[in-house]
Amino acid sequence: MYRQRGEDVFVVDAHVHHWDASEENTKNDGGEQFIRCFYDYHTGFTPDDREWTLEEYRKYSADRMVEDLFGNGAVDMAIFQPTHLHEFYKEGFNTVDDNAELVDQYPERFIVNGRFDPRDGEAGKEELERQKEEYDVDGVKLYTAEWKGDSKGWRLDDEETFEFLEKCSDLGVENIHAHKGPTIRPLNRDAFDVADVDDAATSFPELNFIVEHVGLPRLDDFCWIGAQEPNVYGGLAVAAPMVQNRPRKFGEIMGELLYWLGEDRILFGSDYALWNPDWLVELVMEAELTPAQRDEYGVELTTEVMKKVMGENAAGLYDIDIEEKKKALQSDAISEQFGLGDDYAADATAD
Amino acid sequence: MSGVSPTGDAPSDATSPPTSAVTPRRGAVLNALDDVTDPELDRSIVELDYITDIDLDDVPCDGGATVHLSLPTAWCSPAFAWLMMTDARAAVESLPGIRRARVVLEDHVHESELTDGINNDRPFDEAFDDADGDLDAVRQELDEKARIVRQHRALDALLDAGATPGQLVSLTTDDVRFDPDGPKSERAIVSVADGAVRLCVPRDSVVDYVEKAESVGVDLDSGPLFRTPEGDPIPVDDFDLVRRRGRLASVNMRGQGGVCAQLHESRKLHESRKRQRSREAESAD
Repeated sequence: MYRQRGEDVFVVDAHVHHWDASEENTKNDGGEQFIRCFYDYHTGFTPDDREWTLEEYRKYSADRMVEDLFGNGAVDMAIFQPTHLHEFYKEGFNTVDDNAELVDQYPERFIVNGRFDPRDGEAGKEELERQKEEYDVDGVKLYTAEWKGDSKGWRLDDEETFEFLEKCSDLGVENIHAHKGPTIRPLNRDAFDVADVDDAATSFPELNFIVEHVGLPRLDDFCWIGAQEPNVYGGLAVAAPMVQNRPRKFGEIMGELLYWLGEDRILFGSDYALWNPDWLVELVMEAELTPAQRDEYGVELTTEVMKKVMGENAAGLYDIDIEEKKKALQSDAISEQFGLGDDYAADATAD
Repeated sequence: MSGVSPTGDAPSDATSPPTSAVTPRRGAVLNALDDVTDPELDRSIVELDYITDIDLDDVPCDGGATVHLSLPTAWCSPAFAWLMMTDARAAVESLPGIRRARVVLEDHVHESELTDGINNDRPFDEAFDDADGDLDAVRQELDEKARIVRQHRALDALLDAGATPGQLVSLTTDDVRFDPDGPKSERAIVSVADGAVRLCVPRDSVVDYVEKAESVGVDLDSGPLFRTPEGDPIPVDDFDLVRRRGRLASVNMRGQGGVCAQLHESRKLHESRKRQRSREAESAD
């Protein structure tokens, strides 16, 4: 748990991965370029002394992940956003089933999301049912730019996608995380587009649409849609690490998000291992707007606002009762391993 | 031309452009390229440091030029790369004394498709058989965003100079006076309140806006100078919303510019480390 000015900040990292881009698992040049592209993002927005080597970055152990998030970072819970990419990686990059193993091991700490690809047709719907049944997923991560055969991507407002969203609605899979923003091969204009979120969000008001990377490089289109659709949220992955070497830009982006979406619809996510919560959480929590930004936007990054962004908003979407959860975390395996039990004791929160 | 200082040969002299009798100097090529923008960031590709090399043929009168460029990442949008390369080639070929320009993209996953396509005048969808969507529409969409951002700059300059929203929404091109060929340091004079008040603003804030508005087809001759993002006149009650939408578009563009710049930097760092490692390996042999 992070502590700011005597207050506990419960941190839900709403966007983490446990991937395998080892040379053995990499199928082709596409996979090799993909991980190198990720690595450029990693090194570009990570403090020099916290950079990983490319070898470390290709594949990291579950133990390391757990230590980074919960031992060294102030994360209390984390949500897996699977990215299959079977066209690039033999066993997939970061699959639902692999992620679920960690949930099994640390049930109080991890949440696994499912995924679907509308191009999978009926088999895909059955797979979604399986994910719900086996892992009780409350959300899905959608990667619209994923290659499949000749297809280089799909849209949220495709007819086939609507059938899947209908299915999500029936199954109670309410949180739809759409990767928008940096794409792996944006040949066409749609790959950058966030307009499809608009149609989907209007058609499925019972679902929540979390646009990852706050739509960058289409933050403007995203905020404009978010201002009109109450069930649209922004995930801070990619924007958050800008706090490290582009703090003014991070401030502007937060100002815009707070202005157009408000403090209840922004979710922190590290995108681990792209960036590591062991340095990121603190930098985001301690970020401040410049006086000019405060005047322009009429907002401040107060502890109250940041508590929502860092955890309460995600807790709301995933039905986590934070006070109950703290009790459960007091004595779980992670708290034992890293000696965190006292952090979650009831008197620690009393002022 | 902008503040880019031409490296290499003597700087070009704006008052005596190179004629076909002489090989244009590198500086002139660089100056021509300075007008080419990264369409997503609306900034000069020279300023963004995308140009890695310029080769000029030695033969006078039959000038050929080859421009090498490299983008922030190997994954940068091929569509955007295509637009920049097309514009770069046209800009260089517009110089007197250059008959043929080649543009070579380096360190990109699609460098060969892009370089071949551009230099052999092939259409985009032929160079990339899996491309869908219309390239002109991509350009139009990005140019419209650039217009909104430039309008935001112009509006802020005018607000700073004391204009009111009511005055700004009804301005027309007739109210604006500037020397289109004048130096950048000059001011533009904007008349408001039926000519009763004249405001002085940086010339570029207005000139850059007008240029982009015209290029995206905003009809400035019949209608107000400033428009909503959709291109309509701005009702005065909506002025604040339009200004905020302009601010949002500017923040997006700057934010993306920051991401690109950072990726560019880290890529250059990787490359220099790689070179160093290979030098070390060589000297160890």
